[in-house]
Amino acid sequence: MIAEFELETPDRLDAALALLAGQDAGAGAALAGGTNLIVDLRSGRESPARVVDLGGIDALRGIEVGADAITLGARATVTDLLTSPEIAAHAPALVEAARVFAGQMVRNAATVAGNIACGSPAADLVPPLMTLDAEVTLASTTGERVVPLAEYFTGYRADVRRGDELITRIRWPRLPESSVHGFHKLARRKGDAITVVGVSVALSVAGGRCSRARIALGAVAPMVVRAPKAEAMLEGVALTPALIEDAARQAVEECTPIDDIRATAAYRRHCVHVLTRRLVTAAWDRLV
Amino acid sequence: MTGTERARDAGANIGYRQIGRPLIRTDAPGKAVGKTPYAGDYTMPGMLHAKVVRSPLASARLERLDVVAARALPGVVCVLTAADLPDRLAPTDIPGQTGQARLKTDQQILVRERVRYHGEPVALIADESRDIAERAAGLVEADYAPLPGVFDPEEALKPGAPIVQGEDNVVAEHRIRKGDVAAGMAEADLVIENTFRTQFIEHAFLEPEVGLAWVDENEVINIRVSTQVIEHFRGIADAVGVPHNKIRIRGALVGGGFGGKEDVTVETYLALLALRTGRPVRLEYTREDSFLGHGKRHPFKMTYRTGVTRYGRITALEVDMIADAGAYVFLSPYVLLYAVVAAPGPYRIDNLKVDARAVATNNMFTSAFRGFGGAQACIAYEQQMDEVAKAIGMDRIAFRRRNYLRTGDPISTGYPIQSAVWTEDCVDRAIEALGAPTPAASPVRIGRGVAAYQQSYGRLTFLHDTSEAWVGVEVDGTVIVRSGVTDIGAGQTSALGQIAVEILGVTLDQVVIYNSDSAVTPLAGTTTATRALYMTGNAVHMAAGAIRERFAARAAEAFGVEAREIEMADNRVFVAGRPELEMSFVDLVTLCAADGVHRSELAIFRAPFSDKLDPETGQGQAHPDYTYGAHAVEVAVDIETGEVTVLKSVGAHDVGQAINPAAVEGQIEGGAAQGQGYALSEEMVYREGELVTPSFSEYLIPTAMDVPQIKSIILESRSGIGPFGAKGIGEPALTPVAPAIANAVADAIGARVHDLPITPEKIVNAIAAAREKEEG
Amino acid sequence: MPKEKNVTLTVNGRQVTARLPSHRTLLEALRDLGFVDVKRGCEKGDCGACAVLVDGVAIDSCLTLAASVEGRAITTVAGLGDRDAPHPLQDAFAASGAVQCGYCTPGLIVAAQSLLNRTPEPTDDDIRLALSGNLCRCTGYAKIFDAVRAAARALRDGGDAR
Repeated sequence: MIAEFELETPDRLDAALALLAGQDAGAGAALAGGTNLIVDLRSGRESPARVVDLGGIDALRGIEVGADAITLGARATVTDLLTSPEIAAHAPALVEAARVFAGQMVRNAATVAGNIACGSPAADLVPPLMTLDAEVTLASTTGERVVPLAEYFTGYRADVRRGDELITRIRWPRLPESSVHGFHKLARRKGDAITVVGVSVALSVAGGRCSRARIALGAVAPMVVRAPKAEAMLEGVALTPALIEDAARQAVEECTPIDDIRATAAYRRHCVHVLTRRLVTAAWDRLV
Repeated sequence: MTGTERARDAGANIGYRQIGRPLIRTDAPGKAVGKTPYAGDYTMPGMLHAKVVRSPLASARLERLDVVAARALPGVVCVLTAADLPDRLAPTDIPGQTGQARLKTDQQILVRERVRYHGEPVALIADESRDIAERAAGLVEADYAPLPGVFDPEEALKPGAPIVQGEDNVVAEHRIRKGDVAAGMAEADLVIENTFRTQFIEHAFLEPEVGLAWVDENEVINIRVSTQVIEHFRGIADAVGVPHNKIRIRGALVGGGFGGKEDVTVETYLALLALRTGRPVRLEYTREDSFLGHGKRHPFKMTYRTGVTRYGRITALEVDMIADAGAYVFLSPYVLLYAVVAAPGPYRIDNLKVDARAVATNNMFTSAFRGFGGAQACIAYEQQMDEVAKAIGMDRIAFRRRNYLRTGDPISTGYPIQSAVWTEDCVDRAIEALGAPTPAASPVRIGRGVAAYQQSYGRLTFLHDTSEAWVGVEVDGTVIVRSGVTDIGAGQTSALGQIAVEILGVTLDQVVIYNSDSAVTPLAGTTTATRALYMTGNAVHMAAGAIRERFAARAAEAFGVEAREIEMADNRVFVAGRPELEMSFVDLVTLCAADGVHRSELAIFRAPFSDKLDPETGQGQAHPDYTYGAHAVEVAVDIETGEVTVLKSVGAHDVGQAINPAAVEGQIEGGAAQGQGYALSEEMVYREGELVTPSFSEYLIPTAMDVPQIKSIILESRSGIGPFGAKGIGEPALTPVAPAIANAVADAIGARVHDLPITPEKIVNAIAAAREKEEG
Repeated sequence: MPKEKNVTLTVNGRQVTARLPSHRTLLEALRDLGFVDVKRGCEKGDCGACAVLVDGVAIDSCLTLAASVEGRAITTVAGLGDRDAPHPLQDAFAASGAVQCGYCTPGLIVAAQSLLNRTPEPTDDDIRLALSGNLCRCTGYAKIFDAVRAAARALRDGGDAR
């Protein structure tokens, strides 16, 4: 491919941030796994003057289980998620998403931060992270800030990250004991395909009632979205099939799918309904 | 993962030592260690890199083409546009090995003024590096004025439709008039009509088109290229303007063809650039080039009207087909003819009327693809068989049984089929191999489907097809086979080796095969039309047989016995029952060499020659022979999301004689995967002629997560006209799979999706429509 | 690195140095350096034909900048074995009939080796997951599964892969 850029390979995070600092928006791009950026460089969709290769920075990998929260280093790969016993125990929907994420080679390189940063509404790790109430830490030479993932995206491939910022950590509070975290991806083939509809549901139960409900919808809006009204219908009550059905219908109202080459908006709405109902029902049946 | 059963005639295979065995193919070890070079792995000093500049519009007039900036870029050596070429066209007809007068099918090499499809080449660039080539392509300035185009074959037939090229948009027409369809329909208790549609399909071979050309010391333009047809040297020479003996095609082992490398791809561009620059030139297509650069599988719309008695006898069949030929003719007339011949399927139908047209549009041109019209016809006739059975309330298999073609019966063209027609056995065994139905709970429904087929092997007999092969034995007893056959991955060359060593009585490790060099290896014809084993296998059989006869005579003389008592096997020469009469093959060769016995032979095998089919009735002989078989599948359909999982997939085929059973299984398994993609997930989408599925992210072929275990059942009737009674399997392995899946889905959901691919969305809609119809 | 520099790659145990522009992918660099057993299929990570091992883990070389893997151990299929001493995967692929046109074979063997490096006793589900990023158009994957199972057995038992 042809693309003109200066390639920098810092070995420390602060050096990387310094390289990105003072750049005009879009002038510098961070290279992690390369599974999106290299494709975009080749097609000309991205044409940064400088590429900062984060491959030499060890500090950004790792999965930590704390007393209250789980923390992922930004450069944890999708394979890291797929093979992590901690993630299997504490965020199984992330393992589910990792399983259906592209193919082995892409999984071995692609990073969690990269999947968030690409801003695609079809990014498969985002719905499971959103239902965990994940937060993203953005670092720059001027300091750090934490943004809830639910507030990170502002539109189609648009987010709050500044050009001089890097995602360094993703963190979420541990789910309560009686919780189920699920994800289902619907696509036009089983292996390595762009998501048509992706739904994640996280349900917790306490005292026979649903104490926490999160629904996140992928590929059915300009960005991954939650379905807060549907969630509100489920929280604080014991779930029944009728209630779940109503909440699933409500979730359909909280997304705005389009027609594209993979499916029509009508089909996507239909599947949001079906998948939300199924995931909530499956979770509830496991918990009570 | 594979299960294989083979039904054999008792005792028939006992004598074979090499054929009939799943030997490791001669080409496999080199490929497995990464040592085998493909066409793109060759380089030469001073080599230039080429790039094709393509039209972004499907139907347009090229108003201005400015290559000044591109030419001025340092490192650019040559930019060619139509203005730089003589006013010559590139022939696109059937591979011209027969020298038959060709149809008017020519295509401009580069756009002179009129653009007819998205991606049509406009300029060629050659320069010092790939990077510069890419940059130079970006510097070519072109202004296009969109012209009204036509993108649907039925629209293209309407009065006032834009004409793509020439007088009108009808590129080819074929018909069959057999028996008395009116009488047959009158006799019927029920007439059932259905229309089926199929989509544009991409070959998706893993190796994109690539080649390297240079002019040698004899002014011969050498072209190293990934191709299925080395005989194109004639058409390339005509296009470039040199004598036929000044083009040499050096084929490499091909990284997948399936018909997509059957036409000329990069060769003409390479020849022109090599000639113009005087330097070696390499051209490798990107995947995007490949999607835009070679012809696709014809979409067909097929309407079937079947007259049937209530007891299940088909009394008449009327078929109407329309195929999208795209922007240039290429092999459309032949694909259409194959579809017409295949139209009724493997059934005895005496009253048959078929009308078929291939129509030009400004979509991508369409050409050869495994099955070649026979696959599209099967998608229609096997779905129709299920629908007719349903309409008369008869079991789908019992209905088929009532109507199967049998040996001696006339096929659609009136030709009485000579070889075994084991359709019934294949269908029954494929279904049996599905075993007990997989249990499933709502919202998943299980469905089963089967499809039988008739698929030709060998080319149309009026093409007077021939194939040549040379076999030679070295003085040390090793064997050489030379033949022009191209090896596109199905073991074409290895099979020839197996045949040669079987006849000569040596082992496969003793043979080396040289292939696909148009200057040096005897021309074997195309690797297409499931003809390589039949034609070239027979040629090798003849050549090796002639040598064996001479060697056996010399051995008989040495042993003092009759020549017919000589046996040759396992590198030894002996007489059964006379252990004292034995020598090594090498010793016999030494005797022969000393006596001047000719140790090599060049043989030419000729397929049966016939006249063309009658243009009014379509009657006559079309092909040398046909393969029969079936494929059965079990699917699970999620009736809420429409997702389909193929649970079981079984192919049962009478291949006559399996030369290498592992290779036969490989074809059945590969065909099962391709057919699954055809049925469920693959579609090249053109919107107003523009390709909107430009890569493997949008064009979805089955992955290892999509394809189930595939079971192969190999039946051997030994009735084929290939070597040792072999028939062909390459295309047959694919043909029944998509309709079997379509039938299984219909079985699962109780409704039929008539248009391929059967996507989850179409299934959801079909279920909803059926429910509404029931309630309304 | 401005836009060009000398990059030293360690490929199949051998060091090679080349002056490369920053945008040079590992796929392009390897093939230009003569490692033509690494195949170009799509250049956007959809097909897996270009897979190589980097420190024993399979990645798509078309999605990797050459400069990014300086100092790491790169292994191509040819680095796993040769005809005289084939790696059990190479042997199994040839023996099981898993090689038809062979163009996807290098990437597949690399992906399989990466799987076996991590999971010496893979289930069919493990194999499916590990190979779903390698497209094959010829074989239907059936004999590829046979080959991976056979090679896994051979590597565990120390025998050959027949």
